[in-house]
Amino acid sequence: MMLRHIRMVKNSFSSLVLSIFRKRKNLKIGLYGPVNSGKTTLANRICMDWLGEELGTASVVPHETREIQIKEKVTMKLDGKSLAFNLVDTPGIATRIDFEDFIKHGLADEEAKQRAKEATRGVIESIKWLNDMDMVLVVMDSTRNPMSQVNITILGNLDARKIPFIIVSNKIDLKKSDTTKIRNSFPGYDVLGVSAKNGDMMKELYKMMLNRL
Amino acid sequence: MMRIKFVPYEKLKGNHAAVLEELKEGMIIVVDAKLSPKEEAELIQETMLAINQRFAGIELGSIDFADVGGGRKLRSSLLEKLSGKKRGITLIGPAKLIRRIEQKPEELMLYF
Repeated sequence: MMLRHIRMVKNSFSSLVLSIFRKRKNLKIGLYGPVNSGKTTLANRICMDWLGEELGTASVVPHETREIQIKEKVTMKLDGKSLAFNLVDTPGIATRIDFEDFIKHGLADEEAKQRAKEATRGVIESIKWLNDMDMVLVVMDSTRNPMSQVNITILGNLDARKIPFIIVSNKIDLKKSDTTKIRNSFPGYDVLGVSAKNGDMMKELYKMMLNRL
Repeated sequence: MMRIKFVPYEKLKGNHAAVLEELKEGMIIVVDAKLSPKEEAELIQETMLAINQRFAGIELGSIDFADVGGGRKLRSSLLEKLSGKKRGITLIGPAKLIRRIEQKPEELMLYF
Protein backbone atom coordinates (compact mmCIF):
# COMPACT_ATOMS: atom_id res chain seq x y z
CA MET A 1 0.00 0.00 0.00
CA MET A 2 2.80 2.38 1.01
CA LEU A 3 4.81 1.38 -2.05
CA ARG A 4 1.80 2.18 -4.22
CA HIS A 5 1.50 5.67 -2.70
CA ILE A 6 5.20 6.32 -3.04
CA ARG A 7 5.06 5.29 -6.71
CA MET A 8 2.00 7.49 -7.33
CA VAL A 9 3.69 10.54 -5.78
CA LYS A 10 6.90 9.81 -7.69
CA ASN A 11 5.04 9.40 -11.01
CA SER A 12 3.05 12.61 -10.48
CA PHE A 13 6.20 14.55 -9.62
CA SER A 14 8.10 13.14 -12.60
CA SER A 15 5.20 13.97 -14.94
CA LEU A 16 5.03 17.52 -13.60
CA VAL A 17 8.76 18.16 -13.98
CA LEU A 18 8.94 16.52 -17.39
CA SER A 19 5.87 18.39 -18.64
CA ILE A 20 7.61 21.67 -17.88
CA PHE A 21 10.84 20.82 -19.65
CA ARG A 22 9.72 18.48 -22.42
CA LYS A 23 9.13 20.00 -25.87
CA ARG A 24 5.44 20.59 -26.35
CA LYS A 25 5.57 20.39 -30.15
CA ASN A 26 5.67 17.14 -32.09
CA LEU A 27 4.92 15.04 -29.06
CA LYS A 28 5.12 11.35 -29.75
CA ILE A 29 2.70 9.04 -28.00
CA GLY A 30 3.53 5.40 -28.54
CA LEU A 31 1.50 2.24 -28.24
CA TYR A 32 3.58 -0.56 -26.83
CA GLY A 33 2.83 -4.03 -25.63
CA PRO A 34 2.99 -7.74 -26.36
CA VAL A 35 1.75 -9.27 -29.59
CA ASN A 36 -2.03 -9.30 -30.19
CA SER A 37 -2.85 -7.05 -27.22
CA GLY A 38 -4.84 -4.70 -29.43
CA LYS A 39 -2.40 -1.87 -30.04
CA THR A 40 -3.40 -1.29 -33.65
CA THR A 41 -7.09 -1.59 -32.80
CA LEU A 42 -6.58 1.06 -30.13
CA ALA A 43 -4.55 3.22 -32.52
CA ASN A 44 -7.36 2.98 -35.06
CA ARG A 45 -9.93 3.89 -32.40
CA ILE A 46 -7.94 6.98 -31.36
CA CYS A 47 -7.41 8.04 -34.99
CA MET A 48 -11.06 7.51 -35.88
CA ASP A 49 -12.18 9.53 -32.85
CA TRP A 50 -9.90 12.50 -33.56
CA LEU A 51 -9.06 12.34 -37.27
CA GLY A 52 -11.88 10.34 -38.82
CA GLU A 53 -9.52 7.80 -40.38
CA GLU A 54 -7.72 4.63 -39.32
CA LEU A 55 -3.97 4.14 -38.95
CA GLY A 56 -3.34 0.48 -39.75
CA THR A 57 -4.65 -3.04 -40.20
CA ALA A 58 -5.43 -5.23 -37.22
CA SER A 59 -5.62 -9.01 -37.38
CA VAL A 60 -5.79 -12.08 -35.19
CA VAL A 61 -2.70 -13.41 -36.94
CA PRO A 62 0.24 -12.50 -34.70
CA HIS A 63 2.66 -9.81 -35.81
CA GLU A 64 0.27 -8.14 -38.24
CA THR A 65 2.04 -4.85 -37.47
CA ARG A 66 5.66 -5.39 -38.39
CA GLU A 67 6.76 -1.81 -38.95
CA ILE A 68 6.45 1.41 -36.98
CA GLN A 69 3.33 3.24 -38.17
CA ILE A 70 2.82 6.92 -37.45
CA LYS A 71 -0.22 9.14 -37.69
CA GLU A 72 0.83 12.75 -37.49
CA LYS A 73 -0.99 15.78 -36.14
CA VAL A 74 -3.60 14.10 -34.02
CA THR A 75 -5.31 16.77 -31.92
CA MET A 76 -7.26 15.75 -28.88
CA LYS A 77 -9.64 18.27 -27.29
CA LEU A 78 -11.65 17.49 -24.19
CA ASP A 79 -13.03 19.48 -21.25
CA GLY A 80 -11.17 22.64 -22.22
CA LYS A 81 -7.83 20.85 -22.59
CA SER A 82 -6.01 20.21 -25.84
CA LEU A 83 -3.14 17.94 -26.88
CA ALA A 84 -1.45 17.71 -30.29
CA PHE A 85 0.72 14.69 -30.97
CA ASN A 86 1.97 12.10 -33.40
CA LEU A 87 0.57 8.67 -32.64
CA VAL A 88 3.09 5.86 -33.04
CA ASP A 89 1.84 2.28 -33.38
CA THR A 90 4.61 -0.24 -32.82
CA PRO A 91 5.07 -3.93 -33.58
CA GLY A 92 4.31 -6.17 -30.61
CA ILE A 93 7.33 -7.04 -28.54
CA ALA A 94 8.15 -10.72 -28.18
CA THR A 95 11.05 -12.88 -27.11
CA ARG A 96 10.12 -15.67 -29.52
CA ILE A 97 8.97 -15.74 -33.14
CA ASP A 98 8.35 -19.09 -34.75
CA PHE A 99 7.38 -19.15 -38.42
CA GLU A 100 5.48 -22.40 -37.75
CA ASP A 101 2.96 -20.40 -35.69
CA PHE A 102 2.06 -18.43 -38.81
CA ILE A 103 1.55 -21.66 -40.75
CA LYS A 104 -0.94 -22.71 -38.07
CA HIS A 105 -2.84 -19.50 -38.86
CA GLY A 106 -3.12 -20.53 -42.47
CA LEU A 107 -0.14 -18.83 -44.07
CA ALA A 108 1.87 -20.61 -46.74
CA ASP A 109 5.38 -21.78 -45.89
CA GLU A 110 7.33 -19.03 -47.66
CA GLU A 111 4.90 -16.33 -46.54
CA ALA A 112 5.26 -17.52 -42.94
CA LYS A 113 9.06 -17.38 -43.10
CA GLN A 114 8.97 -13.90 -44.59
CA ARG A 115 6.52 -12.72 -41.94
CA ALA A 116 8.76 -14.12 -39.20
CA LYS A 117 11.74 -12.27 -40.64
CA GLU A 118 9.80 -9.00 -40.79
CA ALA A 119 8.44 -9.55 -37.28
CA THR A 120 11.95 -9.88 -35.81
CA ARG A 121 12.94 -6.59 -37.45
CA GLY A 122 9.75 -5.04 -36.09
CA VAL A 123 10.60 -5.99 -32.51
CA ILE A 124 14.08 -4.49 -32.85
CA GLU A 125 12.61 -1.25 -34.19
CA SER A 126 10.00 -1.10 -31.46
CA ILE A 127 12.66 -1.19 -28.77
CA LYS A 128 14.82 1.38 -30.59
CA TRP A 129 11.92 3.84 -30.87
CA LEU A 130 11.19 3.71 -27.13
CA ASN A 131 13.77 6.43 -26.50
CA ASP A 132 11.83 8.87 -28.69
CA MET A 133 8.50 8.61 -26.92
CA ASP A 134 7.05 11.42 -24.83
CA MET A 135 4.36 9.18 -23.42
CA VAL A 136 3.42 5.55 -23.87
CA LEU A 137 0.20 3.62 -23.69
CA VAL A 138 1.21 0.12 -22.61
CA VAL A 139 -1.52 -2.05 -24.07
CA MET A 140 -2.14 -5.36 -22.30
CA ASP A 141 -4.68 -8.03 -23.12
CA SER A 142 -6.84 -8.15 -19.99
CA THR A 143 -7.76 -11.79 -20.65
CA ARG A 144 -4.17 -12.96 -20.35
CA ASN A 145 -1.72 -13.26 -17.47
CA PRO A 146 -0.10 -9.82 -17.22
CA MET A 147 3.03 -11.08 -15.44
CA SER A 148 4.97 -11.77 -18.60
CA GLN A 149 8.60 -10.91 -19.16
CA VAL A 150 7.64 -8.73 -22.12
CA ASN A 151 5.35 -6.56 -19.95
CA ILE A 152 7.94 -6.41 -17.18
CA THR A 153 10.68 -5.40 -19.62
CA ILE A 154 8.54 -2.69 -21.24
CA LEU A 155 7.50 -1.17 -17.91
CA GLY A 156 11.03 -1.43 -16.53
CA ASN A 157 12.47 0.43 -19.52
CA LEU A 158 9.81 3.14 -19.34
CA ASP A 159 10.47 3.57 -15.62
CA ALA A 160 14.24 3.71 -16.16
CA ARG A 161 13.89 6.32 -18.94
CA LYS A 162 11.32 8.32 -16.93
CA ILE A 163 8.79 8.17 -19.77
CA PRO A 164 5.24 8.68 -18.47
CA PHE A 165 2.88 5.86 -19.29
CA ILE A 166 -0.60 4.52 -18.78
CA ILE A 167 -1.29 0.80 -18.66
CA VAL A 168 -4.28 0.14 -20.88
CA SER A 169 -6.08 -3.04 -19.93
CA ASN A 170 -7.67 -3.81 -23.28
CA LYS A 171 -10.44 -6.18 -24.33
CA ILE A 172 -12.74 -5.55 -21.34
CA ASP A 173 -15.59 -6.58 -23.65
CA LEU A 174 -14.47 -10.19 -23.34
CA LYS A 175 -15.78 -12.53 -20.65
CA LYS A 176 -12.36 -13.54 -19.33
CA SER A 177 -11.26 -9.93 -18.91
CA ASP A 178 -9.70 -9.14 -15.53
CA THR A 179 -8.35 -5.61 -15.11
CA THR A 180 -7.96 -6.13 -11.36
CA LYS A 181 -5.30 -8.76 -12.04
CA ILE A 182 -3.31 -6.19 -14.02
CA ARG A 183 -3.69 -3.58 -11.25
CA ASN A 184 -2.54 -6.10 -8.64
CA SER A 185 0.41 -7.19 -10.79
CA PHE A 186 1.64 -3.63 -11.29
CA PRO A 187 0.68 -1.65 -8.20
CA GLY A 188 1.31 2.08 -8.14
CA TYR A 189 0.77 2.59 -11.87
CA ASP A 190 -2.21 4.09 -13.69
CA VAL A 191 -4.28 1.24 -15.13
CA LEU A 192 -7.46 1.74 -17.12
CA GLY A 193 -9.71 -0.93 -18.61
CA VAL A 194 -10.95 -0.19 -22.14
CA SER A 195 -12.38 -1.93 -25.13
CA ALA A 196 -10.60 -0.54 -28.19
CA LYS A 197 -12.85 -2.71 -30.35
CA ASN A 198 -16.13 -1.34 -28.97
CA GLY A 199 -14.93 2.08 -27.78
CA ASP A 200 -15.76 1.49 -24.10
CA MET A 201 -14.01 3.83 -21.59
CA MET A 202 -12.17 5.70 -24.34
CA LYS A 203 -13.24 9.10 -22.98
CA GLU A 204 -11.71 8.18 -19.62
CA LEU A 205 -8.50 7.19 -21.41
CA TYR A 206 -8.37 10.52 -23.25
CA LYS A 207 -8.82 12.38 -19.96
CA MET A 208 -5.96 10.44 -18.42
CA MET A 209 -3.74 11.18 -21.41
CA LEU A 210 -4.54 14.89 -21.24
CA ASN A 211 -3.76 14.95 -17.53
CA ARG A 212 -0.48 13.08 -17.88
CA LEU A 213 1.06 15.45 -20.40
CA MET B 1 18.63 -34.63 -22.72
CA MET B 2 17.98 -31.35 -20.93
CA ARG B 3 21.05 -29.29 -20.03
CA ILE B 4 21.11 -26.43 -17.55
CA LYS B 5 24.04 -24.09 -17.15
CA PHE B 6 24.61 -21.74 -14.22
CA VAL B 7 26.35 -18.62 -15.44
CA PRO B 8 27.73 -15.76 -13.33
CA TYR B 9 26.26 -12.38 -14.27
CA GLU B 10 29.77 -11.08 -14.97
CA LYS B 11 30.15 -13.60 -17.81
CA LEU B 12 26.81 -12.67 -19.39
CA LYS B 13 27.28 -8.92 -19.08
CA GLY B 14 28.02 -7.45 -22.52
CA ASN B 15 28.42 -10.95 -23.96
CA HIS B 16 24.96 -12.01 -25.04
CA ALA B 17 26.31 -13.50 -28.27
CA ALA B 18 28.10 -16.34 -26.44
CA VAL B 19 25.02 -17.07 -24.36
CA LEU B 20 22.79 -17.05 -27.44
CA GLU B 21 25.04 -19.63 -29.08
CA GLU B 22 24.49 -21.93 -26.11
CA LEU B 23 20.75 -21.30 -26.18
CA LYS B 24 20.74 -22.27 -29.87
CA GLU B 25 22.32 -25.57 -28.81
CA GLY B 26 19.38 -26.20 -26.48
CA MET B 27 20.97 -25.09 -23.21
CA ILE B 28 18.93 -23.55 -20.40
CA ILE B 29 20.87 -20.71 -18.78
CA VAL B 30 20.49 -19.63 -15.14
CA VAL B 31 22.12 -16.31 -14.24
CA ASP B 32 22.83 -15.26 -10.64
CA ALA B 33 21.35 -11.79 -11.05
CA LYS B 34 18.29 -9.91 -12.23
CA LEU B 35 19.08 -8.28 -15.55
CA SER B 36 18.37 -4.58 -15.77
CA PRO B 37 15.50 -3.49 -18.06
CA LYS B 38 18.08 -2.17 -20.51
CA GLU B 39 19.93 -5.50 -20.52
CA GLU B 40 16.65 -7.37 -21.02
CA ALA B 41 15.78 -5.13 -23.97
CA GLU B 42 19.23 -5.63 -25.50
CA LEU B 43 18.98 -9.40 -25.06
CA ILE B 44 15.60 -9.37 -26.81
CA GLN B 45 16.99 -7.35 -29.71
CA GLU B 46 19.97 -9.66 -30.10
CA THR B 47 17.68 -12.68 -29.87
CA MET B 48 15.62 -11.28 -32.73
CA LEU B 49 18.76 -11.05 -34.86
CA ALA B 50 19.61 -14.67 -34.04
CA ILE B 51 16.20 -16.13 -34.89
CA ASN B 52 16.13 -18.49 -37.88
CA GLN B 53 14.27 -21.62 -38.94
CA ARG B 54 16.01 -23.71 -36.27
CA PHE B 55 16.05 -21.15 -33.45
CA ALA B 56 12.71 -19.53 -32.59
CA GLY B 57 13.94 -17.27 -29.79
CA ILE B 58 13.87 -17.52 -26.03
CA GLU B 59 11.70 -17.65 -23.00
CA LEU B 60 12.91 -15.41 -20.23
CA GLY B 61 11.96 -15.11 -16.58
CA SER B 62 13.44 -13.47 -13.53
CA ILE B 63 13.06 -12.92 -9.82
CA ASP B 64 14.17 -9.68 -8.23
CA PHE B 65 15.27 -10.40 -4.65
CA ALA B 66 14.12 -6.90 -3.72
CA ASP B 67 10.56 -8.18 -4.20
CA VAL B 68 11.15 -11.14 -1.88
CA GLY B 69 10.55 -10.45 1.82
CA GLY B 70 10.22 -6.90 3.13
CA GLY B 71 13.35 -6.63 5.27
CA ARG B 72 15.76 -7.46 2.46
CA LYS B 73 14.84 -4.48 0.31
CA LEU B 74 17.17 -1.96 1.90
CA ARG B 75 20.04 -4.43 2.13
CA SER B 76 19.56 -5.42 -1.54
CA SER B 77 19.55 -1.80 -2.66
CA LEU B 78 22.83 -1.00 -0.87
CA LEU B 79 24.60 -4.09 -2.21
CA GLU B 80 23.38 -3.39 -5.74
CA LYS B 81 24.67 0.18 -5.64
CA LEU B 82 28.06 -1.04 -4.46
CA SER B 83 28.44 -3.96 -6.90
CA GLY B 84 26.39 -2.77 -9.90
CA LYS B 85 24.75 -6.19 -9.93
CA LYS B 86 21.05 -6.55 -9.12
CA ARG B 87 20.39 -9.43 -6.75
CA GLY B 88 18.11 -12.02 -8.21
CA ILE B 89 17.87 -14.88 -10.68
CA THR B 90 17.33 -14.83 -14.42
CA LEU B 91 16.35 -17.90 -16.35
CA ILE B 92 16.74 -18.03 -20.13
CA GLY B 93 15.77 -20.99 -22.27
CA PRO B 94 15.26 -21.82 -25.94
CA ALA B 95 11.66 -21.23 -27.05
CA LYS B 96 11.58 -24.61 -28.82
CA LEU B 97 12.28 -26.31 -25.48
CA ILE B 98 10.39 -24.16 -22.95
CA ARG B 99 6.74 -23.59 -23.80
CA ARG B 100 6.38 -20.74 -21.32
CA ILE B 101 7.67 -19.36 -18.02
CA GLU B 102 5.07 -18.33 -15.47
CA GLN B 103 6.30 -15.48 -13.31
CA LYS B 104 5.28 -14.44 -9.86
CA PRO B 105 7.24 -12.01 -7.67
CA GLU B 106 8.73 -14.86 -5.60
CA GLU B 107 8.79 -17.82 -7.97
CA LEU B 108 9.25 -18.97 -11.55
CA MET B 109 7.50 -21.97 -13.07
CA LEU B 110 8.78 -23.56 -16.28
CA TYR B 111 6.44 -25.37 -18.63
CA PHE B 112 7.98 -27.74 -21.17
